[in-house]
Amino acid sequence: MAQHASTEDRSVPAPRTRGWSEDWLAVVAGAAVFVLALGLLFGSNLLGWVTGPRTWLEIGKSVRPVSSAYAQVDALLLLLVTYAFVLALMTAAAALLGMSIPKFIAGFTLLYWLSYLSWVLGNYAYIAVTTPAEMQRLGLGWSLRLTGEFGYVLALLIGLAIANLLPTAARWLAEAARAELFIKTAIVILGGTVGVKAAEQLGLASSIMWRGLAAIIEAYLIYWAVVYFVARKWFGFSREWAAPLASGISICGVSAAIATAGAIRARPIVAVMVSSLVVVFAMVELLILPFAARSFLGEEPLVAAAWMGLAVKTDGAAVASGAITEALLYGDAAAHGVKYSAGWLVGTTTTIKIFIDIFIGVWAFILAYVWTRHIEPRRPGDSLRIGEIWERFPKFVLGFAATFLIVLVIGLGSSADSLRTVNAAMDQANVLRQLFFVLTFFSIGLQSDLRLLWQEGIARLAAVYVVSLFGFVIWVGLLISWLFFSGIKPPIAG
Amino acid sequence: MSASNDKPRIGEELGKMHAEPLLPIEKKLIAWSLILGIVLLVVLIWTGNASMPFGKG
Repeated sequence: MAQHASTEDRSVPAPRTRGWSEDWLAVVAGAAVFVLALGLLFGSNLLGWVTGPRTWLEIGKSVRPVSSAYAQVDALLLLLVTYAFVLALMTAAAALLGMSIPKFIAGFTLLYWLSYLSWVLGNYAYIAVTTPAEMQRLGLGWSLRLTGEFGYVLALLIGLAIANLLPTAARWLAEAARAELFIKTAIVILGGTVGVKAAEQLGLASSIMWRGLAAIIEAYLIYWAVVYFVARKWFGFSREWAAPLASGISICGVSAAIATAGAIRARPIVAVMVSSLVVVFAMVELLILPFAARSFLGEEPLVAAAWMGLAVKTDGAAVASGAITEALLYGDAAAHGVKYSAGWLVGTTTTIKIFIDIFIGVWAFILAYVWTRHIEPRRPGDSLRIGEIWERFPKFVLGFAATFLIVLVIGLGSSADSLRTVNAAMDQANVLRQLFFVLTFFSIGLQSDLRLLWQEGIARLAAVYVVSLFGFVIWVGLLISWLFFSGIKPPIAG
Repeated sequence: MSASNDKPRIGEELGKMHAEPLLPIEKKLIAWSLILGIVLLVVLIWTGNASMPFGKG
């Protein structure tokens, strides 16, 4: 009867409560970008030098600074300044996490430039252009119409190829491939973008948030119960394996699997195996679901966005799926003359994912309560503490909430002119947000070791995942997204 | 990922697993989760459509 779960010395430890965690570092890094961007409100263009790709036909004209004030500065110099800025932020984070700095800098540098190159290649005109008007302007006879966000997919595929074909290089890059740190930093920055959208369309934003509550109910109360039942009853898994597996498939991938394993005092191998599987399947979902949404949810963009938040596991893959879905659906709409306001789809996916994340600690506490009271009482002294809820709370959510609320308050009290300045400030931060996205994609690919699927004994574990994810989670997520979001459209760009 | 380091152990660990029948408390947890989830979803749909119809086309 899962007696092994009571072997305290071998169980998953509770999260660290002291020192720096990736969550807090993401808050600081995201806040640094956010504060610099807000300089525009006080007449200081502190982030205008940030350089990102644009649609290009000649490689020499493939990048440009976000602010026209820096248009005369050599693009190569600005590229290096952008790299140096991101490197400084992430190296500071690596130092606070106690990592080897020279090793991190070397790995991050390679990871950064490969990711950036993917981003630039994805913006090649024959790949990225979506509208007839732009094709005419650039003199193109055809285009794949994949949008510039195809660069994210390229980054993912390159990372995946390295992970599975060049294991030595993958190991060398592993320390710098901090997908969670990158995506959480991006999410903190994204809070400001979502805030400005909410200030422009408060009614729609409130409506999306209200409907986002459904995600919490769905993930914790419906998905979890069904997946746990499937794992226990149909596949004969023990409680020690079934509970983290149910959380990994239902809630928020890696962090939920780890939190649940800790709550029920499962052994570390359970959390490690489930987390590894979650990363691989999230990558598969990321490659399939946005394109599936494009083929049959083109008329319901917010249903597609909500679906990504509900169906794709891990923060990185979910938010990344939202970004690709927005690019694909907006690109198709633009080809038909409909130009939606940017950011609404990725904002909806992120909101839903964050709503789900918030309750991981509460859910872990409930499971710990059930396990300690009814399944296997803990040893004396190993009591259940209410503080565990806070310890397991994803702190980067606080960063997202802060940037969101600050911009919302500023935006609601602004004139139309001032709101345009707020928008411009968030556009500057947004280029770095996209850069952190592309770093996330590359890192997700790099962490997806497909050889895992060939390991002896993994088939049974993977079977639960496949049956639950593709037989239930994806379709129920689609149904609930449809019930809550159908008929709601993003605003038209003004 | 470090998973590859655990290669020999996964099959062994899963092989060691003993049958554990569902306890009444587990059945209760599953049933109450589903019932509460479905009821709350219905309440959310109803209140959402009644009080926040914004954006519904």
